[in-house]
Amino acid sequence: MEDKTVIIKIRQQDDPDSASYWQSFQVPCRHHENVISCLQEIQRNPVTLDGQAVIPVTWDCNCLEEVCGSCTMLINGRVRQACTALVEHLEHPVVLEPMSKFPVIRDLQVDRTRMFENLKKVHAWIDIDGTHDIGEGPVMSDSIRAQRYALSECMSCGCCLEACPQFTRDNTFLGAATFSQVRLFNLHPTGALAKEERLEAVMGEGGITDCGNAQVCVEVCPKNIPLTESIAEIGRQTSLKMIRDLFQK
Amino acid sequence: MGRLRKDQFHLLLIKTHSLTGLIPVGAFLVFHLAANSLRTVGVWQYKLSIDLINNLPFLIWIEIIFIYIPILFHSLVGVYLSFQGKLNVHRYNYGRNWMYTLQRLSGGVIFAFLVYHMGTTVVPKLLAGKEQFEAAPFLISVMNQEFQTLGGRVIYMVGIMAATFHFANGLWGFCMSWGILVGAAAQRNASLIFILFGLVLTVIGFATVVEFSMNPIEVQATVPESF
Ligand code: HEM
Ligand code: SF4
Ligand code: SF4
Repeated sequence: MEDKTVIIKIRQQDDPDSASYWQSFQVPCRHHENVISCLQEIQRNPVTLDGQAVIPVTWDCNCLEEVCGSCTMLINGRVRQACTALVEHLEHPVVLEPMSKFPVIRDLQVDRTRMFENLKKVHAWIDIDGTHDIGEGPVMSDSIRAQRYALSECMSCGCCLEACPQFTRDNTFLGAATFSQVRLFNLHPTGALAKEERLEAVMGEGGITDCGNAQVCVEVCPKNIPLTESIAEIGRQTSLKMIRDLFQK
Repeated sequence: MGRLRKDQFHLLLIKTHSLTGLIPVGAFLVFHLAANSLRTVGVWQYKLSIDLINNLPFLIWIEIIFIYIPILFHSLVGVYLSFQGKLNVHRYNYGRNWMYTLQRLSGGVIFAFLVYHMGTTVVPKLLAGKEQFEAAPFLISVMNQEFQTLGGRVIYMVGIMAATFHFANGLWGFCMSWGILVGAAAQRNASLIFILFGLVLTVIGFATVVEFSMNPIEVQATVPESF
């Protein structure tokens, strides 16, 4: 096993505005090795395939167990987490690219601020006591709790946005993860106090109507979040609100 | 306030696009295919349906308001929507992503077909002399000509397939975007039912093409010329 090697081809970029370029590295391939440990190997010995010593490749990672989402990148053209991409299971050479729908900071690191901004836009939190006491939280049924648990597993990795044909660099589409969070917080008895505000936030340009139902999001979500049910549920809530508003406003 | 207005306009535009796809445009497609399939039932039945439709009062206004304007609106917004996304089915090869892609492509095919279809039927009908004009003999002879060549038959079959696919898959999209189908199982089951519905529509359309191709007919004016 020890003498096997793997070639890793990486799309690199020195800063947010410069052009990208490709470099290949050859690293030893151990049993059960993941893409992160290959990147660590390159960091220890940053010499390209043709023997040139270069600056080590930059990437993001944190938990190394697919719960933080930070090591998300394109591996052989598909978006996924590098920590759970086992090299033995991949086609060789392994091609790594930064996600294409977010601005690159450097090499494989991207800036996912847009996701956080989208969560802020839709009030993706629950208000608790402010200047006045809003009382005890109501009881929640176990089935609602179970539904919310599945939705709460979102780690904002951005896979669902990278793979979505409707989410592009030059539009304002909020994307599946954001809609799913609207559903999560609207399902909470106290969170539902801001339900109308959340729905209004997804009823404009870039909102729920801009989903084309290609359903790629649900195929690539590593947490198996029922994104297409969330999208349909928010479609229902916004449609009913639209009809209600038409007669009441 | 300015931003709000723009968002409200966007919502209204997309929801109206969705609704026009179903009513009146989709409803017209079903009616149109069904009415023409009377050709497979019999000559007089088919002629009667043409006579009935073409003698409706204010026909041209009915057509403009309930057919031409909605189709034009739905097509233009549809083209705009098609350019909003970026197809990626080569990378993410999933069934529903194919449907998403084909929904956009079939829209383009329908548009091209409609330009041709209107050009060979409605435009000559409107240009024909008004004196003693009878729609049935005129339109039936136009259609005989359309189906004389293999090329003509293929154009109609492609146009019909594009429209029935787009409508059947569009019905599913409609149920998604209005939140009629929510659960994953409900979504899957409904898509099977819509596929079946689309197939039935396709068969109805193809049967008419076959009947016209194999068996051209001629009819006389219903109103005698001396009348
Ligand atoms: C003539 C050119 C046409 C173009 C370019 C076009 C384009 C589109 C596009 C892009 C969509 C998808 C919208 C989305 O999912 O976000 C759509 C939906 C739809 N179209 Fe068309 N279309 C055309 C003609 C037609 C015709 C003739 C019919 C009727 C048979 C039709 C019925 C529908 C329906 C029912 C929907 C679903 C609405 C929804 O998603 O809520 N379309 N169209
Ligand atoms: S919904 Fe899934 S794919 Fe999308 S950001 Fe959350 S965890 Fe990632
Ligand atoms: S269903 Fe399709 S268009 Fe909608 S968010 Fe998911 S991937 Fe994007």
